[in-house]
Amino acid sequence: MPESVALQRLREAARDPRAYVAGWRAHHPGRRVVGVMPMNFPREIALAAGVLPVYIQDDQRPVAEGRAYLPEFYCGYTRNLADQAATGRLDHFDALLLADHCIQLLGASDVARAVGDRSVFFGMLISSLSDSWAEKKIAEMMGQFRGEFEKLSGAPIGDEALTRAIEAYNADRELLRRVFDERAAGDTTWSPVELQDMVVSAQVMDPIEHRDLLVEALAAAPRGERDDRVRVHLSGHLCHAPRRELLEVIEETGAVVVDDDLWSGRRYVQSLVPFTPGEDPMSAIGRWYAERNVDLPCPTRVQHDVDWDAWLIDATRRSGAEVVVHLMPKFCEPHMLFYPELRKALDAAGIPQLLVETEHEGIPLEALRTRLEALVERALRHRPAYA
Amino acid sequence: MTGGRYLGVDLGSTTAKAVVVDGAGKILSSSVVTMGAVSRAGMQRAIDQALGEAGLTESDLQGTVSTGYGRRLVPGAGRTYTEITCHARGTAEMVPGVRLVIDVGGQDSKAITVGDDGLVRDFAMNDRCASGTGRFYEVLARAVDVPIEGLGDLALRGSDELEVSSMCATFAETEIVSMLAEDQDVADIASSVHRAIAARTLALVAQVGRYTPVVLTGGVARNPAAVHFLSRALDAEVTVPAHPQITGAFGAALLARDGDRGRPVATDVRGADEMFPRPRGHAHDGHDCSGCDGTLGPGTVDLGTVIPAWR
Repeated sequence: MPESVALQRLREAARDPRAYVAGWRAHHPGRRVVGVMPMNFPREIALAAGVLPVYIQDDQRPVAEGRAYLPEFYCGYTRNLADQAATGRLDHFDALLLADHCIQLLGASDVARAVGDRSVFFGMLISSLSDSWAEKKIAEMMGQFRGEFEKLSGAPIGDEALTRAIEAYNADRELLRRVFDERAAGDTTWSPVELQDMVVSAQVMDPIEHRDLLVEALAAAPRGERDDRVRVHLSGHLCHAPRRELLEVIEETGAVVVDDDLWSGRRYVQSLVPFTPGEDPMSAIGRWYAERNVDLPCPTRVQHDVDWDAWLIDATRRSGAEVVVHLMPKFCEPHMLFYPELRKALDAAGIPQLLVETEHEGIPLEALRTRLEALVERALRHRPAYA
Repeated sequence: MTGGRYLGVDLGSTTAKAVVVDGAGKILSSSVVTMGAVSRAGMQRAIDQALGEAGLTESDLQGTVSTGYGRRLVPGAGRTYTEITCHARGTAEMVPGVRLVIDVGGQDSKAITVGDDGLVRDFAMNDRCASGTGRFYEVLARAVDVPIEGLGDLALRGSDELEVSSMCATFAETEIVSMLAEDQDVADIASSVHRAIAARTLALVAQVGRYTPVVLTGGVARNPAAVHFLSRALDAEVTVPAHPQITGAFGAALLARDGDRGRPVATDVRGADEMFPRPRGHAHDGHDCSGCDGTLGPGTVDLGTVIPAWR
């Protein structure tokens, strides 16, 4: 079946956000575009101000001039952001924004501030979510974001505009989430690269435009059926997309990816803003942030009654995943610190796993292929049918 | 001899290995061909030698499984398996009860833990660095100007107290050259580098846990100094099969025999016994060794005993 035009357009936006932004500007003269660093900024606020918020992607180009600004022990994504900033590849944004406390992303935002003349706003969303003051602090920061975007657009943001923005992103995320649920159930045949393109394009595009294309792409998609390939859960890559060739190798080994908790996957689509008509939209956005970590835990957040490891095991049970592949970006401290807990929990649950340390500069694919195939063989040979 | 003939081919980075087994898993023939680089000609030579020695042609084979980095290049292979699965399968057959297989090949090294059933439990392998691989030993041999075959004996004669700070295959050569410039004894240099490599292998083992009995396979297992220093680093006896280079190809041949998708089939290991006399010496786990002849016969080792050291 030929690929739909809609799917092609989603892929183009995902792989060349700069071209998408240029096209969007041509259709929306005078409107602003803000580059957003992951992971938790509520883009609804920006959209309500008439601004297009675009999550900045790793453009996978080799880090050259950026090396002068950030040392090797920064993760590849942040070094790539520094390189993009140093070489003018962020110039299509009117301003940049960081809403999270990652020390490495802070480095990238500092570089962007140092080398460019555009505004860089840093507002830190509280990461400790179990404290009595958390709700108040979240509300304060959300209010600051609103104020900043009112200044940027030069007009107040009304509740009606906020409501429309919430509805637009919710509708897009909900549709994406349905695709992920269908994949976990074995009802679709989307490859991990296709799904990544769908999610990354959602992180880049206007949500209404994205959803319209997604509806069209999904309508043209063949239904799938669960087969006997080894079912894989991908875990990690908390704030940027893994390289596509890595995802391709995983399925070339005879496995099928059935679920994930990647930033460029389920982590982005899992939580909708819990808005009910008539309520204060800013309050709903605050709850969205507080509850995201419950819906899909993140090691950068602190919440006493939430565990990524417990969530991961539940997720494998829901999807029937037989193995877990951890995709850990080199020098991603939150992931590195939490990984021993994940490993211990999966070992205790008898779920085979493989740790793949990813790097911006590339991956030795043949060695990786061997390790992945060995994991698949191990899973096959431990299936009851072959015992 | 039992009916059925099965071929296992291990196409590695520097050598091609082929093993033919019969339906009972008995080895009928084997070959090891040094290629220098992955080559179809070298692979075909290994296959031809093994088939010729067994008096067979390809049409006599009931199944072929290939493994190694060039596994997808092997013609006629009904199925491919990774070296990890094949080394575990072959080694578990040669040395029943093995719990940890360390395979050091031309360009990579692997630590594989093996369960009661002879299947892979966990594994780790180097993926970015040639440190601790056969390539690293080649660099050392070239730097100290001795044939690779004599490197182990040279290292065993030396003292291992020199400091080797770089384990990068490129920078270590520079370091060795500067040691030579300081008139350090070549045997001491070789010995110290072997010690440093063993420590590197230990780091790989730490990723899967240190279990005994330990078996070393791959071409590097033929280097007595590598075995000595690894044994010392692990603080455990390290067993080397009589033909450590063909365990992967043997495992592949057994998997071809085992049938589709690696279904384990009961094996008569007498064939392997004949081909590979049981190596003397095995890990001591506290049991009484009096009266033991040093072979790994049934009942001499509690196969359920696993000693996790670093988990």
